[in-house]
Amino acid sequence: MAQQVDHISSLPTAAAAVRRRSVRRILTLVSFLGPAGLFLAVLIAAALMALRMSVSRENAESAWTVASYGALGAGIYLSSMLLTLKLSLLSTMIAVVLSLPVAMVLARLRNDTVRSLMLFVVLLPLLMNVLFQVYGWMVILSPGALVDSLAGALGLNAPLLLYNQPSVLIGLVQSSFPLAVLPITNALRNIPMSIEEAAATLGGNRVRTLWHIVFPLSMPGIVAASLLVFAFNASDWVIALLLGGDRVTTMGVLIRDEMGPLLNWPIGSALGTVLVVATLIILAVYQRLTSRYAELWRT
Amino acid sequence: MSSRVGALRRGKLNAEPIILSVLSAIILLFLLVPIVMVILVSFSADDTLQFPPSSWSLRWYQAALELFVGPNAAVVRFRESLLTSLEVACVVMIIAAVISAPAAYALARYHFRGKLLVEQLISLPIVFPVIVLGVALLVMVSRLGIGMVFWRIVVAHVIITFPFVVRNCTTSLAGLSSSLEEAAYTLGANRLHSFTEIVLPLMRPGILSGSMLAFVLSFNHLTTSYFLSTVDLIPLPVWLIQRNAVNLDLTTFSLSSMVICIDVALIWGLDWLIGKRRLTL
Repeated sequence: MAQQVDHISSLPTAAAAVRRRSVRRILTLVSFLGPAGLFLAVLIAAALMALRMSVSRENAESAWTVASYGALGAGIYLSSMLLTLKLSLLSTMIAVVLSLPVAMVLARLRNDTVRSLMLFVVLLPLLMNVLFQVYGWMVILSPGALVDSLAGALGLNAPLLLYNQPSVLIGLVQSSFPLAVLPITNALRNIPMSIEEAAATLGGNRVRTLWHIVFPLSMPGIVAASLLVFAFNASDWVIALLLGGDRVTTMGVLIRDEMGPLLNWPIGSALGTVLVVATLIILAVYQRLTSRYAELWRT
Repeated sequence: MSSRVGALRRGKLNAEPIILSVLSAIILLFLLVPIVMVILVSFSADDTLQFPPSSWSLRWYQAALELFVGPNAAVVRFRESLLTSLEVACVVMIIAAVISAPAAYALARYHFRGKLLVEQLISLPIVFPVIVLGVALLVMVSRLGIGMVFWRIVVAHVIITFPFVVRNCTTSLAGLSSSLEEAAYTLGANRLHSFTEIVLPLMRPGILSGSMLAFVLSFNHLTTSYFLSTVDLIPLPVWLIQRNAVNLDLTTFSLSSMVICIDVALIWGLDWLIGKRRLTL
């Protein structure tokens, strides 16, 4: 106590004390957030260097040119952008719709053992190496493998199921599924059972209750889920490369080709820049649209 | 009216939970089937991939074991890669926990201008396309001439995983009022002391499940490692994809099954750590 009095009386004015306190507060904040900020700074610096790379010439990296972006106007790049958009949107929709029943069950389970078992199954595809899931789908879809054998046993002639867009779509949905389930489960868990009971008491049937009460209230979870799944699948390259063969060239596959075997880093960086900008714009627009939609729903 | 509530709970609407459960079971099966198939095929006796196999054997495990302890070069590679991945994951877990716990504390307890921006920046690595992060880091290390392959992979993995650790730490603090820390100040503790004695123990569940999550994510992460690794240092996922770029022989499935066992143990541990709390993504 005496120490504290000393401390205060040694300061010239109250204003200086406030200033000193706010300086100390800032220092505290910086020391708490600084280390994490350092890693974010690496991310941002690297992104800026890639941006710089995208406006330089191949093999002459100090030159400035927008040739790479001009080259992106070529048919192969445009169609790959559309394909990436299509696959990401489709996989997001399918994953979110499929995750609704799972999330509803997971949110309501009272039995801890069963819930933790279910959470385990949900987490597996997200956390386990994506390659194992790709290998698994190969066992299911390859000629001579599971589906083909089943079709053969039934006397059917199955077409080649691998190396096309549907096989890539299946892989995308499966590997991103947990990203859809978890936010929706958390949102559903925040809805008290009593609200649904009140709706039933007031004469709403189950479908109306789900549609007018449960669905709007879980909207934040659904929005978060779709953002995560979309961003995750837009940047995929492994699934498209391995399950798509050479036939499903998403932007991820093209970027990997330009950075790896083709060694055209300016084009690879330009493609990457387009992917980042497109992803962030789509996420922002989606967030804006859904918040307006949620307001409409409420009124 | 109360009969309607009763109906919701037991009467004619009882079909809903059953329909939901059956649907979920089917969907969860869809999630599990690929992984189960990898394990089943690893016990095949055939030379090439087919399912169902004409007969079962352990020959591919024998081949995998030779890759593990035998004298040829590929062997050593698998073992080295596995160890590399485990080492990277350990270091990533520690760094992510050390940088995330204080950041989560600052976000949960302080109100300051630009806080929303800081929160969004911390979430940036989650929505930033991971392949572009790999490309950008590759451009960066080559322009700056950074060698240190191990550490550049570690830095990439920390960037990807630490937002998850921060979020899990914040949720474990969110439900608790700051009265305990205030009590500690009143009793004469300084900031550091109250942080280590009061805050860290309160955050422990979040730190534990968050850093476990970081470990699992790092151990399985492919994309940035793919761009940043060199022939001298190849994490396991990169080793697997490079090996199978050529052809998919069945040793891949026995090796994968072994790694799947490690993963199952890790994820089970994570599941146990999460317990009754929720996992924040």
